[in-house]
Amino acid sequence: MNSYYLINLLIYAAVDAMACLGLSQQFGVAGVTNFGFIIFQAAGGYTAAILALPADSANGAFQSYLGGWNLPFPIPWIGAAVVGGLIALPFTFLVGRRLRGDFAAVGLLVTAVLLNLLATNYRPLLNGDAGLSLIPQPLAGEYNPQSAGYQWALTAVAVAACAAVYLLVRRITESPYGRSLRAMRDNDTVADSLGKNLLSLRTTMLVVGGAIAGLSGGILISYITTWSPAAWGYAETVVLFAAVIIGGAGNHRGAILGAILVPVGFEEVTRYIPTSNSLPPNLIPSLQWVAIGLLIVSFLWVRPQGILPERKRVIRAEPLRPAATPAPAAPDSTGQAEAATASAVPRPAAPPPGEAVSPAGTLGSVSTAAAAVGGVRSADVPGTGQQAPGDREVVLQAVDVVREFGGVRAVAGVSLSVRRGTLTGLIGPNGAGKSTLLAMLAGTLPVSAGQIRYQGKDVTGLPAYRRARLGLIRTFQLASEFKKLTVMENLLSAVPRNCGDSLRGALAGPRYWRGDEEAAAARAAALLERFGLEAHASSYAGDLSGGQRRMVEIMRALMAEPLVLLLDEPMAGVHPALARKIGGELVALAAGGLTVLMVEHELAIMDEFCDPVVAMAEGAVLAQGTMSELRRRSDVVEAYLVG
Amino acid sequence: MTVFLASVGFGLVTASVLAIAAVGFTLQFAVTDVLNLAYGAVMIAGAFLAYVLNSHGVNIWIGLVVAVAACAAGSVLLNACVYAPFQRRGAAPITMVIVSLGMTLIIEFGVQAAAGGTSVSYRMSQGPSVTADGFTLTAVQFVVIGLSLLVMAGTYTLLRYTRLGKAMRATAANRMLARNCGIRTGRVITATWAISGGLCGLAGVVFAMDAGSFDATSTDLFLVLILAATFLGGPGQAYGAMLGAVIIGLATEVSAAYITPSYKYVIAFVALLVMLGVRPTGLLGKAAG
Amino acid sequence: MSGEHTGRGVPLRATGVTAGYGGDPVIRNVTVRAEPGEIVSLVGANGSGKSTLLKSLVGVVRVTAGTVVVGEADVTRKAPEEVARAGVGYVPQVDDVFAPLTVRENLEMGGYLLPSRQVRDRIDEVATVFPRLAAMLSRAAGKLSGGERKMLAMGRVLMLQPAVFLLDEPTANLAPAIARTLLEDNVRRLAASGASVLIVEQRARAVLAISDRTYVLAGGEVRMEGTPAELAASPAFIESFLGGTVSR
Repeated sequence: MNSYYLINLLIYAAVDAMACLGLSQQFGVAGVTNFGFIIFQAAGGYTAAILALPADSANGAFQSYLGGWNLPFPIPWIGAAVVGGLIALPFTFLVGRRLRGDFAAVGLLVTAVLLNLLATNYRPLLNGDAGLSLIPQPLAGEYNPQSAGYQWALTAVAVAACAAVYLLVRRITESPYGRSLRAMRDNDTVADSLGKNLLSLRTTMLVVGGAIAGLSGGILISYITTWSPAAWGYAETVVLFAAVIIGGAGNHRGAILGAILVPVGFEEVTRYIPTSNSLPPNLIPSLQWVAIGLLIVSFLWVRPQGILPERKRVIRAEPLRPAATPAPAAPDSTGQAEAATASAVPRPAAPPPGEAVSPAGTLGSVSTAAAAVGGVRSADVPGTGQQAPGDREVVLQAVDVVREFGGVRAVAGVSLSVRRGTLTGLIGPNGAGKSTLLAMLAGTLPVSAGQIRYQGKDVTGLPAYRRARLGLIRTFQLASEFKKLTVMENLLSAVPRNCGDSLRGALAGPRYWRGDEEAAAARAAALLERFGLEAHASSYAGDLSGGQRRMVEIMRALMAEPLVLLLDEPMAGVHPALARKIGGELVALAAGGLTVLMVEHELAIMDEFCDPVVAMAEGAVLAQGTMSELRRRSDVVEAYLVG
Repeated sequence: MTVFLASVGFGLVTASVLAIAAVGFTLQFAVTDVLNLAYGAVMIAGAFLAYVLNSHGVNIWIGLVVAVAACAAGSVLLNACVYAPFQRRGAAPITMVIVSLGMTLIIEFGVQAAAGGTSVSYRMSQGPSVTADGFTLTAVQFVVIGLSLLVMAGTYTLLRYTRLGKAMRATAANRMLARNCGIRTGRVITATWAISGGLCGLAGVVFAMDAGSFDATSTDLFLVLILAATFLGGPGQAYGAMLGAVIIGLATEVSAAYITPSYKYVIAFVALLVMLGVRPTGLLGKAAG
Repeated sequence: MSGEHTGRGVPLRATGVTAGYGGDPVIRNVTVRAEPGEIVSLVGANGSGKSTLLKSLVGVVRVTAGTVVVGEADVTRKAPEEVARAGVGYVPQVDDVFAPLTVRENLEMGGYLLPSRQVRDRIDEVATVFPRLAAMLSRAAGKLSGGERKMLAMGRVLMLQPAVFLLDEPTANLAPAIARTLLEDNVRRLAASGASVLIVEQRARAVLAISDRTYVLAGGEVRMEGTPAELAASPAFIESFLGGTVSR
């Protein structure tokens, strides 16, 4: 095996692995299916080329292209990464919107073909289908690019770059930010309702993946010194997807393995197939493609998780325990108020690295202990428990809210006020509009008319994720756990102020966000213990029973440090004893300042825990009062029996 | 004017091939909710089957009939053995796209492996030409246009007036309710894939006739035209596909006459991207609620 | 619909049915029956399993234990199209019409199993039962109002003159006056023609007024059974609707 062969193998392996890592980050971790991925690598390659090429060059015939500034290494590579990232921005219109997954994929695929077509046909741009050649290699002036030493050095740099990319994507993925990406992948609607800005997350992933792909293109052309549209058709994207799927989507080592097996592996295997003059020249390449197709389909059938599936992240934490001696109420509340005002600022300054500060980690009296466990921000004055419910201020309001679709009024002019620290029940027969109203309060459904006011401000136009960041959190009626995250991760994903939950924070590394993470994990562990699920902390949420998943959802909502919690049928499928326990927890949290609005059918729960209870029927509010008062009202009884 | 008319002529032929193809494609989506990206590959497989027969002396029109039958059967198998099992498992739409891309590779490059990489053409006569003021069409091209009109009329009749056609529309609209009416939707789906598969084979052969020479990868770009026509009219809307085909077919050829021919597909691409971004339900589909 | 099918109905007997959506069963060990000419109602609070029971009878939800027998035929775990062919007409609660098809085409789909000659006559007969539909035969079903859609859904089922009618909350989202008419006129007529009718309703009072027998479901099980008179007299009846005891 001569060294030239090995160099070739290693460089291609490094470049393909880099590309696959970028794709794995986008597709496997964040769930962004970018069928135009190859465009980013192409853009990077071209950028590096036009930055490195001199103003004019000829390769038999005159080459025409943009740029040609003959810039020295490493500018072409940097340019490649930058352009790769920038090219991603226009793609967000296809990926950020609520377009069906397969439609978006088709759009991206088509874009890749379109751009290839343009590059092929518009000669002044990038020399058309002849492509660019004679691209100067890095530091070609100082060293002899033909020498073995240079080639090995280039190989080493390529492999090092690949290793750097691996460390980069691993750092991003194994952070609270990475967890938010995976949550978005598993269930984007729920992630949205927990405060994740989906558009921003997806755009960032496109840009990061694009930059990685661009860099891989830049490195590749530095080696092969040519680049033409034939090198990046849509078939190349399919190969990369095959590599990531076979290696294991969501596992970065799997991406590298896939790169070695598929693009590189296929090239190498065919080298060893004996050539024979009787075989048509196209046969082996054609069969290669057939084999790739077979691999894609069989892997998706037999082992969709790939050879190296996504690892389970086990997070061990000791439950947070309240201090034995209760501290006086006043200073605690002031401290809470301070923490709360800090929390009112959308992104507070991160605590200095190394300091384990958690705004919700206050310990002390019973209500604050409950607050610590549930993470309640209570910006109220001391003595909430002593104020009569009717005197507390209104935190959430619906004003003449209407929801209409297809000519049907699901909610017909409802006005509702929810006061701080109350546990309000919302009951009514099927079709009364309860869930629709709740969705409009949370922002997951737009209003057709009317206003939603939160803490005195009009939030009608505010999207769900921004309401969530202000402390208005909802749960869902149907199963909405993040299936491929563990129970502990589900809880941690909701924590609103983890300094590792941003790209900058992730890149800063574990030392930066470890404090916040450990504090959050301790809170989560305490919550798990309280609800009796500590044994399942490291089980995948998708594997639990219905009632258990329901509890995970409630705990997760509590981890989001809600000021107002909107629960949509939280007790459905839950054992009665457990339902009572949950109700008790909610009452304790309400005493600490949490406000709860709960849609429920189990009217016994209303009896025990909720006051007031609002009865709805046919899209309007019928009556409001305690459950026993409502039971005595004939119109409520009629609504339930008559509908 | 001459240039314009000539391009309209080409446009009609392209639109005809496209209409046959797009109707089949959209029917598959309507009834099974699968964007069968392997459609282009099945087309070219049919074209090659006809070529093999043709090169052994069989008349191309008989080859066409054989191709139609073979693609009908092949499409039924494709759905029954590949797409349906994945769907029964609850595969997400994006997974189905990747599966269909895998099938594209298998079928298209399987054809290439068997038939070689060189371009081939049918041994057939184009027949006499009709010329009028720059507008030139050969007899074969007229036949293609005629076939397309037949397909469109036939599809319309099928969907509107026949029991099977209405069962297809019912299955597409609400599969469970169709079953509650006693409709054996499994058979309806098989019939849909057989019919659309037949259209796919027909489209493949007339595409090859119109192209003159072709190889295994010739339908790659054509698939994008099919997608553009489908999404323009509305995915799953048979009449939409016909409308989209006419618009895309004409727009592509007329624009090619006035700007460089190599860019003629650009219009189709842009139309597709705009539709996806602005109105994914298409011109004839219901606007999203 | 003028009594010409007296004696055509067959009994529906579901015995010990347990069914669910894959995880824990939603209904457990449920036994209900409906005899020809009877109107049997299934009432209960939300989440009690009423809809799931109907769906398991027609094959939409998987039955894990028990049997469902229609007349002589055992239809347990059969596909929905086979249950329909056994003579069961089912009107689901939602997605009850083919929205892109016209009213006439919806009815034609209802009569899919009939010989084509009969279809047009049957459409005329159904139109006399629902005169409002007769005026709208060419309108797309998706453009109908709520009440009209329900009528179309019932008309579709009528096309085959099934021996057993299963109706899932037919009055949901209907104005009370229309709901009353639907129940008192149309549903009564179904039973009058000899069919067995099993109707799930939330509007307990309204459906009790027309029922021969009623089952009360709670927590996926049958809690009470009796004639409307017996049930109305029992205080436990109202309790099972308005809670009082946590029901699972």
